[in-house]
Amino acid sequence: MEKTDELVGVAEGVTVVPVGTPSVRRIRPWPLAAALVIALGAVAVLALVGTQGLNRPAVQAWRTVCLAITVQALPFLLLGTALSGAINAFVPADLFTRVLPKRPALAVPVAGAAGAVLPGCECASVPVAHSLIRRGVTPAAAFAFLLSAPAINPVVLTATAVAFPGDPAMVAARLLASLATAAVMGWLWLWLGKEKWLRPVLRHRHSGHRHGRSRLHEFRLGFQHDFLHAGGFLVLGAMAAATFNVAVPRSVLDAFSGSPWLSVLFLAGLAVLLAVCSEADAFVAASLSGFSPVARLAFMVVGPMVDLKLIALQAGTFGRAFAWRFSTATTLVAVAASVLIGGALL
Amino acid sequence: MKRPVQTLLLTLTGIGLLHAALFTDTYLRYVKAGLRPLLITSGVVLLLLGLAAAAARSGPEHAAADDDQEHSHEHGHDHSGAPRIAWLLFLPAISLLFYAPPALGAYTAARSNAKPVGVQKGFAPLPATSPLPLTLTDFTKRVQQDPGRAIRTRLVQLTGFVSPAENGDGWYLTRIIFTCCAADSQTVKIRVYGTEAPPANTWLAVTGTWHPRGTLGTKTAQAALDARDAHPVAQPVNAYTDDLPLTPS
Repeated sequence: MEKTDELVGVAEGVTVVPVGTPSVRRIRPWPLAAALVIALGAVAVLALVGTQGLNRPAVQAWRTVCLAITVQALPFLLLGTALSGAINAFVPADLFTRVLPKRPALAVPVAGAAGAVLPGCECASVPVAHSLIRRGVTPAAAFAFLLSAPAINPVVLTATAVAFPGDPAMVAARLLASLATAAVMGWLWLWLGKEKWLRPVLRHRHSGHRHGRSRLHEFRLGFQHDFLHAGGFLVLGAMAAATFNVAVPRSVLDAFSGSPWLSVLFLAGLAVLLAVCSEADAFVAASLSGFSPVARLAFMVVGPMVDLKLIALQAGTFGRAFAWRFSTATTLVAVAASVLIGGALL
Repeated sequence: MKRPVQTLLLTLTGIGLLHAALFTDTYLRYVKAGLRPLLITSGVVLLLLGLAAAAARSGPEHAAADDDQEHSHEHGHDHSGAPRIAWLLFLPAISLLFYAPPALGAYTAARSNAKPVGVQKGFAPLPATSPLPLTLTDFTKRVQQDPGRAIRTRLVQLTGFVSPAENGDGWYLTRIIFTCCAADSQTVKIRVYGTEAPPANTWLAVTGTWHPRGTLGTKTAQAALDARDAHPVAQPVNAYTDDLPLTPS
């Protein structure tokens, strides 16, 4: 129990406690562990390819791809975090509870669909969902929103359309499969979910406008925090993706692309591991041209809902007991939805 | 992450983006040209955000508010600081400013599959120019798809960079193409025979004729060239295209 409390403390507290405070240094949140693993991996790659260091062709290619993913995604990320900052600061706090239907079973699909008009990176949707729960929104609806918001917002759908030119069915399939997954997960929570999996919120948190503060000031702080937070995860994701991109020969991919069933599971797993931001994952999916459309759809449906950085964020915000159950169930539902809807549309 | 570091990080990232997209053409090594306005906008926004953070810190009224937040972690305001993961953002910012990696080259080309060439139905007659400048994609199409076999006796000029061939003699004249960013790169290669392999990544204009192997105009024909002459050219500003050089070289 004590341990979990600490974890929540880290997820919320690490954002405020100045770096270097001994009491915090002791406890490492998951993202940092992941960063450490990646850094070690990079060092291992460096050691393997030789002592020439940063100018070896492999390392140069890795740096180029890593920088390319980051630079490409930065404008999208900035747009998403600016909007979420603006919504946080300028949208009335009780709006969401007034708009949602009173019955939870109805609130779930409405909240899922509401994800479409609240664009944001998946990293930003976790704190938003958390604050929705704190404002009295039923958790099931908040989770539906958490899952759908990064997957079906206009920025992501536009990026998907750009990545798959002349293939509007892919955009439609992504929209439908993501919505279906979000709604099913919300209803699943109503049916099977237990409040005790959720960490009781120990600290008093505000997100949104507070009295006595300039809204512009709130907006700037929210924007800045969300951008830096998501940007860090973006770089982490870019590193992982670049490592994969440069180190894994294409023939390995081809081995999986042959079998339709394995390829769907393989790309779903890849989406979890790569942790590409939802604004950029359509382009990664488009480049996996050896795979079937259904497998690539599964990549794009699973990616924004479950990946390493999201599991870490959710464990910190909602508790570990919740995070692993929720992520496992979401992956299964998302794969099923991709196969069903992708099979029908693509 | 402390506030001054955040300010520095925002400003540095903004300057990095502006440096890459506005003052130089570095961004073309990583992303498509169409992203330039977005990158410049992002750079300006980040720079403004950094300056606003700096101004808010030095201003008497807001400095108090900021300090209040920094010390108020008992209340745990969401937005008072940035998590340590944000330190990673220093890497791309510094990389863009001081140590920008080059465009993808022979290493990537040697390890990637060849891009499937699109199917073209009708072929216009070739211009009479000799040597005839062609893109690598067009040359491949002419060799493998043109039933009129117009390419058979023609002297053509192709431009690309050198990547080594894994087996046998000859080397590859190569272009790397992407649709969005360097992460989704694909490779077009033409095998070149008849000259010593120049160092990898050298940009060359190669003049020559089709290397007869396979049946011309069908899939069995190899996209290959018997080189008569090869001379170095400057690397195009946007290397990730398969375009003809604007000036005859």
